[in-house]
Amino acid sequence: MLELRGLTITTPARAIVRDLTLTLRADEVTALIGPSGCGKTSVLKWLSGILAPPLQATGTLFLDAAPITCPHPVLAYQPQQDALFPWLTIAQNAALGLEIAGLSRSAARARVAPLFGVFGLAGCEDHYPAQLSGGMRQRAAFLRTIVQDSQFVLLDEPFSALDAVTRLHMQAWLLARLAERPRGLLMVTHDLFEATGLADRILVMSASGAILRDIPVPIPPKHRSQAALATLRDTLKTLLTKDPFP
Amino acid sequence: MLARCLPALVLAALVLAVWEVSCAALALSPLILPPPSGVATALFVNRSEIARHAVATLMVAGLGFSLSIGFAWVTSVALYFAPLARRALMPLFVVSQTVPLVALAPLMILWFGFGLLPKVLLVILVTFFPILLSLLSGYRQTPPAFVDLLVSMGASRWTVFWRACLPAARAACLAGLRISATYAFVATIFAEYAGARRGLGIYILMAKNNFRADLVLAAVALSALLTLALLGLIHLVDRASQRGPQERRDA
Repeated sequence: MLELRGLTITTPARAIVRDLTLTLRADEVTALIGPSGCGKTSVLKWLSGILAPPLQATGTLFLDAAPITCPHPVLAYQPQQDALFPWLTIAQNAALGLEIAGLSRSAARARVAPLFGVFGLAGCEDHYPAQLSGGMRQRAAFLRTIVQDSQFVLLDEPFSALDAVTRLHMQAWLLARLAERPRGLLMVTHDLFEATGLADRILVMSASGAILRDIPVPIPPKHRSQAALATLRDTLKTLLTKDPFP
Repeated sequence: MLARCLPALVLAALVLAVWEVSCAALALSPLILPPPSGVATALFVNRSEIARHAVATLMVAGLGFSLSIGFAWVTSVALYFAPLARRALMPLFVVSQTVPLVALAPLMILWFGFGLLPKVLLVILVTFFPILLSLLSGYRQTPPAFVDLLVSMGASRWTVFWRACLPAARAACLAGLRISATYAFVATIFAEYAGARRGLGIYILMAKNNFRADLVLAAVALSALLTLALLGLIHLVDRASQRGPQERRDA
């Protein structure tokens, strides 16, 4: 279990996140939603260890009650764009995290190789990112994240760059991957359909940068019809639009 | 490749033809402006002597340019990791570019003699800055998401530089090399002009003093060919270091 206590993130002018506390379980999908500029992405960046100046942060992260510092191998981060290096092949891109973690090139390659089929990328190993469609690039980015085998995965609007149909496919595909190997997922999103369709728990941030509500979604993903989720989405919409200009 | 060079070749042939015809039509003295055929003949007749001087020029330019690339790369890495040094040194480098070659070349000869050193130093002085600048601006063009990704994976600053910034700077670096390459031979010839035992620069000076415009132009043509050859070499390096289809903008 991952526990974040008392995270405050400030710009030179103001605090964008105030005393935020949240817990992530190792087998649960958590969606973090909130109005624009409430600091969702900054929270994710702090957890990934990439919060850059002028932003300053204080807070403590505990892994099973022991304090840890970020970046930490237990957390894998996936940026908003696929961030595939154009000068590396898909196989080299996918192996990047493992190589940074200290594996030799061949060992990393061997670890990645059997996963191309499952990720719908069979035959693309030696292609370059520019030769792939948007959905395939996103799957390659997921492959690079997932193969690091971290217990927790941080996703910053993972499907926002995809067209509507590809997005639906990718969401179902991601749930299938999580069913094979459960992980703790923290996903920042703007999309209420995405949040309600994927998450086991939805954290709603207020415009002032604190957790406003912690809403569990007790329905298992395969039973989530549009009708069953309508009330929840209405609630979320009300929460998000309550104070648009704090 | 041939199709891409064709317009340039046709234009060059046209210019030469106009030059040749007007020399004949206006009955110009070869002392003032020899026709291209005269230049070619002079080049052929004096080929062994010109070649001897060209080899000396090639040595100086090649050595200076190689050293310049090496120094520029090492300096760029150092300045990338030391922003304070970058702020302190960059104005000095800019000032170094404003020193006129005409003033500096004779001084270099005065300080360091007629040997290789002053000429190589002059080539480095002229070609170093464009390469350095293009490398530094190339590093800055690294997409922030690439850096974020590597840092979140636990990469060190050096790893981030090696894996993201350096490959991201490839295109910018080659652009800087192309600019510098055109200066390399000009700087060499200038240095030789100021004083040398051998080289196209001193050859041009001697030819001029003997009123041999055809030999001056023959040496100029040869130096142009050498520059084109260097640009061709850089093009080959470009092709060999290309990774992936996204960069082949001119294919």
